[in-house]
Amino acid sequence: MNNQNGKRFLKPGRHLMMGNEAMAEGAISAGLRFFGGYPITPSTEVIEHLAKRLPQVGGVCMQMEDELASINSVMGASLVGAKAMTATSGPGLSLMVETISMAANLEIPFVFCDVQRCGPGTGSVTDPHHNDLGLVRFSGNGEFEVIALAPMNCQELFDLTITAFNYAETYRCPVFILSDAYLGHLHEVVDIPPKEEILNKVIKREVPPSEEISPRVFSYLDKVKNEYVIPKPPIMGTEYVPGMFLHTPHGPEGILSPDPFRFVQTMVDKIKTNKDKICLTENYKLDDAEIVIIAYGLPVRVSYRAIEIAREEGIKVGAFRLITVWPFPDEQVKEVVKNAKAVIVPELNYTGIIAEQVERVTPLGTPIIKVPQVAVFHHPDDILKAIREVAQ
Amino acid sequence: MSGELPMYPSEKPEHPYVLDSYAGRILNTYSSRFCAGCGYGIIGQIYTRVFEDLKLDPNLHPLVIGIGCYSQILLLVHADAQKVLALHGRAPAVATGMKMANPNMKPIVFSGDGDCLGIGGNHFIHLCRRNLDCVIFIFNNSIYGMTGGQGAPTTLFGAKSSTTPYTMFENRSDGIKLALAAGATHVARTTVAHPRTFMKYFKKALKHKGTSVIEIVTPCVTYFGRKNVDSLGAEYLGLEGKKMDTGGKMVDWIKRNSVRINQAKFMTEEELFNKYIIGEFRYESDKPEYSEEYARIQKIAMGDK
Repeated sequence: MNNQNGKRFLKPGRHLMMGNEAMAEGAISAGLRFFGGYPITPSTEVIEHLAKRLPQVGGVCMQMEDELASINSVMGASLVGAKAMTATSGPGLSLMVETISMAANLEIPFVFCDVQRCGPGTGSVTDPHHNDLGLVRFSGNGEFEVIALAPMNCQELFDLTITAFNYAETYRCPVFILSDAYLGHLHEVVDIPPKEEILNKVIKREVPPSEEISPRVFSYLDKVKNEYVIPKPPIMGTEYVPGMFLHTPHGPEGILSPDPFRFVQTMVDKIKTNKDKICLTENYKLDDAEIVIIAYGLPVRVSYRAIEIAREEGIKVGAFRLITVWPFPDEQVKEVVKNAKAVIVPELNYTGIIAEQVERVTPLGTPIIKVPQVAVFHHPDDILKAIREVAQ
Repeated sequence: MSGELPMYPSEKPEHPYVLDSYAGRILNTYSSRFCAGCGYGIIGQIYTRVFEDLKLDPNLHPLVIGIGCYSQILLLVHADAQKVLALHGRAPAVATGMKMANPNMKPIVFSGDGDCLGIGGNHFIHLCRRNLDCVIFIFNNSIYGMTGGQGAPTTLFGAKSSTTPYTMFENRSDGIKLALAAGATHVARTTVAHPRTFMKYFKKALKHKGTSVIEIVTPCVTYFGRKNVDSLGAEYLGLEGKKMDTGGKMVDWIKRNSVRINQAKFMTEEELFNKYIIGEFRYESDKPEYSEEYARIQKIAMGDK
């Protein structure tokens, strides 16, 4: 399974790649061994690329009979110790939520590429629309937390996929990469780092040394240190497994728990208490900014351009970018919007899913201007118009 | 009255085949949670016997269990077996992922009639089509037992259930015909009234390289037997049947209502209506198996043919 015939890593240097391919290559670099997928525009290139590349590195790429089967096979593969992933778009995600909820319960790590397309329903298949975030953060019945990352260019699709796999291994929850139809089909230069650099970053899936194996294979609260302990994911076929994988409220040993409250609390708080490590953000010309733009994904690129133009006009505006969209970095956003004159949230959706979260932490009286757009890019003028309005 | 006595035996009984069960080790109860007259106890014991007789490596034979009454079998099988309770109907897909990610394994899938032929029908068809190396059991009690006796895709014509109070009128789904059409390479049906045949098929399936589908007809006294009469399956004789309200009566009915495959060749369609045809329907040991074929593809992709 750990084939090292040299094909796992691309030659270091600059490669011209499509977004979906960059994501697939990032996954292979992170040690992907099983991909179960079902073709759906605009994510199809991921499965096409992996069908060619994964067998070369000793991995398995399976085209399953439907989305339900693909996510379940991914779960099965992850249970026996293979790093696993699937890729789909909105309609596929709707079908998969059943298993995402179960995987969150059993703390089975896997990575989920959501190449978003315009919805609702079948929608328009090749247009971008950041409409899945609402579904992603509440993906499935029950209460649990997920992690969602939003790259904005092909380089980040490569890098953040590796980060996503590391998050999945560390926090043992479903990790989503929120790409979209334009980003997935964008061709850009990707700088591939040398093999050693990638290997240093990647967290391996392995059975812990025998003296460290404890019957507690699921997350629990260490009452002495008052912090959540997240053990390494158990691997079926080795000694490091619980008595059974039971998808009902369970304790750290995997035995039916009489205390569902404690169980749900663990599922949610193991992520929430680690927010400072999970939440990746980026500041752009924020130091003296009076007007703050908060954005994620592709609209960030447009915002940066709008900021440059506005700065030439003498308007003090900066951007705060969410790389980790979920869990929402409450504290950091609170700090950024504290002294702002106005907050602008350009989003590639109409309702403003993240704008709602920003509203939650913004002081009363600070105006929040949504700049919605659906199925096409924002034009820098759309954002500039909002900046000029509040600057007056 | 019963408060004086423990509900279940809490000490391990002396019996060569009572292993250290999961329920015994964790919950300290050496007993099953099934209704009186249920067939799943027989299945659980046969599984344990075969496991012990063949000295199977539990690490290489993970149990993938769907959702239904039979999910409780995981408490009966021995403590070291690796078990995962999959979602309703998705067990074949989970087993596919396991087998492909670790080709040394041979997953054993437990599924029911509603699980495998109802909600998970698609996964079942494609598991058989791929001829993936695993054993899949369909426990057919022709009713949804866990939710309280609703009609299943396998419920016999004319039977009563809580969602078919005026008798079942839908056509019956036949798991064996489905498996044969989908291309499974080892297909057999037996009943809990024929435990030795069941053991024989199970042992053969473990040696077989490819998908083994074994359907086991099992009684559900609580929700099927109490509502139905034992003339079911013999309608053409025009008999007036009696209620099947005990395990013994149901096992008798299952015996009477099943026809050997050799015998069935000489029977008319009318006579076979609502009957279970039992026996081995297909055994092809030379068909290509999916994970081996994929290993061949990997060699081509790696360039060392």
